[in-house]
Amino acid sequence: MEGKKRKSRLIGQIKNKFSKNIYYRFTAFGVLLSLIPLLSTVGIMKVSTVSLFAYIIIFTIVAMGLNILIGYSGLISLGTAGFVGFGAYGVVYFYGHGIPYEFAALITLLIAALIGIFIGLFSLKVDGVYLAIATLAVGEIFSQVFKKVTWFTNAYGGVHFKFPKLFGVLQLQKSTMFIFLVVMMVLFMFIMYNIVHSRTGRALMAMSRSDSSAQAMGVSVPRYRLIAFIIATLFATTGGILYASFFRYVQPLDWNLMLTLLVLAMVVVGGVKSIIGTFLGVFVIYGVPTLWLEDLFAGTEGIAYIFSGVLIIIVVMFYPNGAVNVFQDFKKLYKKYKNGELKIKVKKGQKANE
Amino acid sequence: MSNSTVNLDKGMLLKVDNISISFGGLKAVDELSFDIKEREIVGLIGPNGAGKTTVFNCITQFYDADTGTVLFNNKNNETVNLNDLKVTNIIKEGLVRTFQNVELVADLSILDNVLIGAHTLYKKGIFSHILKTKKACKEEEEYRSKAIEVLKFMGIDHLKDQYAGGQPYGILKKIGIARTLISDPKLIILDEPAAGLNDVETEELCKLILNIRDKFDISILLVEHDMGFVMNVCDRICAISFGKFLAMDTPENIKNNPIVQEAYLGKDDD
Amino acid sequence: MKVFITLLFRSLETGSVYALAALGVVLIYRTSRAFNFAQGAIGTLNAFVAATLLMSWGWSIWVTVPIAMVTAILTGFVIDAFFIRPAARVGHEGKQIITLGLIIVILGITPILFGVEPIPMPRFIEFSTLTQVEFMGASIGYNALFTIAISIALMASAFWFLKFTSWGLAIRATASNEMASKLMGVPTKNVTMMSWATAAAFGTLAAIIVAPQSAVDINMMNDVQMSAFFACVLGGFQSFYGPVIGAYLIALSRNLTNFYITSTWSTVIVYVVILIFLFFKPVGLVGKKTIKKV
Repeated sequence: MEGKKRKSRLIGQIKNKFSKNIYYRFTAFGVLLSLIPLLSTVGIMKVSTVSLFAYIIIFTIVAMGLNILIGYSGLISLGTAGFVGFGAYGVVYFYGHGIPYEFAALITLLIAALIGIFIGLFSLKVDGVYLAIATLAVGEIFSQVFKKVTWFTNAYGGVHFKFPKLFGVLQLQKSTMFIFLVVMMVLFMFIMYNIVHSRTGRALMAMSRSDSSAQAMGVSVPRYRLIAFIIATLFATTGGILYASFFRYVQPLDWNLMLTLLVLAMVVVGGVKSIIGTFLGVFVIYGVPTLWLEDLFAGTEGIAYIFSGVLIIIVVMFYPNGAVNVFQDFKKLYKKYKNGELKIKVKKGQKANE
Repeated sequence: MSNSTVNLDKGMLLKVDNISISFGGLKAVDELSFDIKEREIVGLIGPNGAGKTTVFNCITQFYDADTGTVLFNNKNNETVNLNDLKVTNIIKEGLVRTFQNVELVADLSILDNVLIGAHTLYKKGIFSHILKTKKACKEEEEYRSKAIEVLKFMGIDHLKDQYAGGQPYGILKKIGIARTLISDPKLIILDEPAAGLNDVETEELCKLILNIRDKFDISILLVEHDMGFVMNVCDRICAISFGKFLAMDTPENIKNNPIVQEAYLGKDDD
Repeated sequence: MKVFITLLFRSLETGSVYALAALGVVLIYRTSRAFNFAQGAIGTLNAFVAATLLMSWGWSIWVTVPIAMVTAILTGFVIDAFFIRPAARVGHEGKQIITLGLIIVILGITPILFGVEPIPMPRFIEFSTLTQVEFMGASIGYNALFTIAISIALMASAFWFLKFTSWGLAIRATASNEMASKLMGVPTKNVTMMSWATAAAFGTLAAIIVAPQSAVDINMMNDVQMSAFFACVLGGFQSFYGPVIGAYLIALSRNLTNFYITSTWSTVIVYVVILIFLFFKPVGLVGKKTIKKV
């Protein structure tokens, strides 16, 4: 009797920790994800699934950066793909010149941050749609550079890379590299959470919702615009570095407007201002078509494509605040089911999303 | 800061001296001067389009006045000319304002909205916040409890975790004021604090403003159309019309001032 | 001089293509408040209709192109009715994502309907010694003259329509303030529907003009789409004619850089120039900065 009580109290405590402490949840989520390589070795999952999830994890980091820009700072960038590509090429290039992996990554990030500052400064004068298209121009310039600057990118031949050796001692393999990706993703989730729940996050929101009131409160709009762009470029570039490190081959045609738009879709579909929603968005945009739709419609590739387009449209239409709200709806439904009032609840559930 | 060698007299907080600003040839504020003493509540009144909000914008540096100085006795008891400062640095001197249409962040909690007012008080930068260093956490905790205290004073601490968006107008106005109070101000400027409030709420606001002065030991400058409210709450009133100074006096005297009456009601003889 | 004239007419031709696409983009942006990323894809889809009727069914280009324009208008109607109008409560980003979804759907449908092979597309008037005119030493094809003329005529009639008809007034009213227009009884729903149809038709014509340079395939509009966006910022989103001017400017500067400076980097140079231009004129050639009052 006593033991049972203690046990339930312990469970209660753990439950409490999980519901209160977001860091525990992110970590637990990471631990779950890092089981994937194990599952594939045992044979429960296909080997290709590991790469799929690696891609999802990498783009979760990229999309989180864009989420800070769109959701919190009210700014937009259509140059995301360019930065991801730059991260991928940069780390390969500097590593190829004898610089250790960590430093190669650091230098790449530093250069990207400088370009981010440049865009941030630009954003002080150019606003709204004009800024969006200007960042599109930056992305296009990147894309041209990837195709034409042979010494940096080897043009259409692409560049090869290998799994990095961390700190000169820890040689990563496919599965350990995957775990490294997961660690990085969880780390970036922490970073995003800490940023947006701090003075910086509040300042970004104040700035985006009302310029003048932010200024009256002492928030320097130029400064926080710069910060927002730097954060977004650093997240995107980190994604690129990890992309090169996991997939070990970078070619110039991947970093186009379509990818940028897909990352934007990941943010909007998953849920603006939501961290776990961002992961969900990447999963819906990239994971669902590859995991299920392509199998379902094997042979007619076009149909899988159509479905993923329709899926994006449907989610945006019915969950304008992001697919992350699906969970809330399920919770509501479940509660209604529990109370035995499911019949009317289905109707109400629909209303709640409006 | 070359021309701010002038020091304000003791007991004086703000001295608006001879400021003018024009937009495309139209003089919105015309050689206006007035002052505010410490612990004083001053009302700025005038008919519609008299340039009241423009005066606020000139004081808080949203607009650069064409001429004149705005001297202010700041937190360190030094006299500064606000015209030398950037708009974002005004709050650091101890002067902070609200807006006519509130301008809060709808998708932040009320508590977080108030914390935006403490923005300039934070000493730790973004990296400490990312790493959640002990000092950064302590700082956050400190201002959080300070914000709760302010909200308690305003009587809305029970709502602190709710979103600001969707709250009734009266609450929004209170959040706006709470946000100014957390920044350790010496003078707060309220732009139409009673607009959109009903009679009961206005009465309550009246008491609240007097309380704020007593509890926080600060001065208040306000623009308001509700004459009854202004007369009740203000120590002195400055009346302007078409950007020009008309009179500055106690509410009673302003009420009976023929120039002010004329500006509001028009001349009798036509 | 000969070279310059040749370049000038080439620029007028590509400029017309960009201008048609840009006019479509700005029309949608002003009435639906979203970038239409799918403009190029819609054009491609209907260019496939024209190309298939032409090549597989052997119909005349003078019949197929009008048919493609009709299907384009229908595409516009369908998109507005099924995707844009139901998404009224979706934010700006959301609407843009819907147009992204449309690209993906169209890119999926096209190979199923028309096959995966690119389809060659003839010019309106085939190029030969008989169908060209000498002008200051340069030979200009009839086809170029025809496409320039028809694009300009189409755009001119669009501007006339915008300026002098009650429908045009409705569009301009919706563009400047949708909510107020709705309250004043402007049929904003029909306005957006018409805008989508018009934009689709313009995009399709642009695709048909540009197609003979390579062939009708999925990616043929990428460059046009991108240039249309840049034309819009260059000319400014606030007017309908600004983007058209921007489009011709982009085409001209790109052709000139291409020939006189470098062909490898002409695109990048033009983009950089646009960025620098934007820095000094943040709302384009014919835009005014709006000031928010506090």
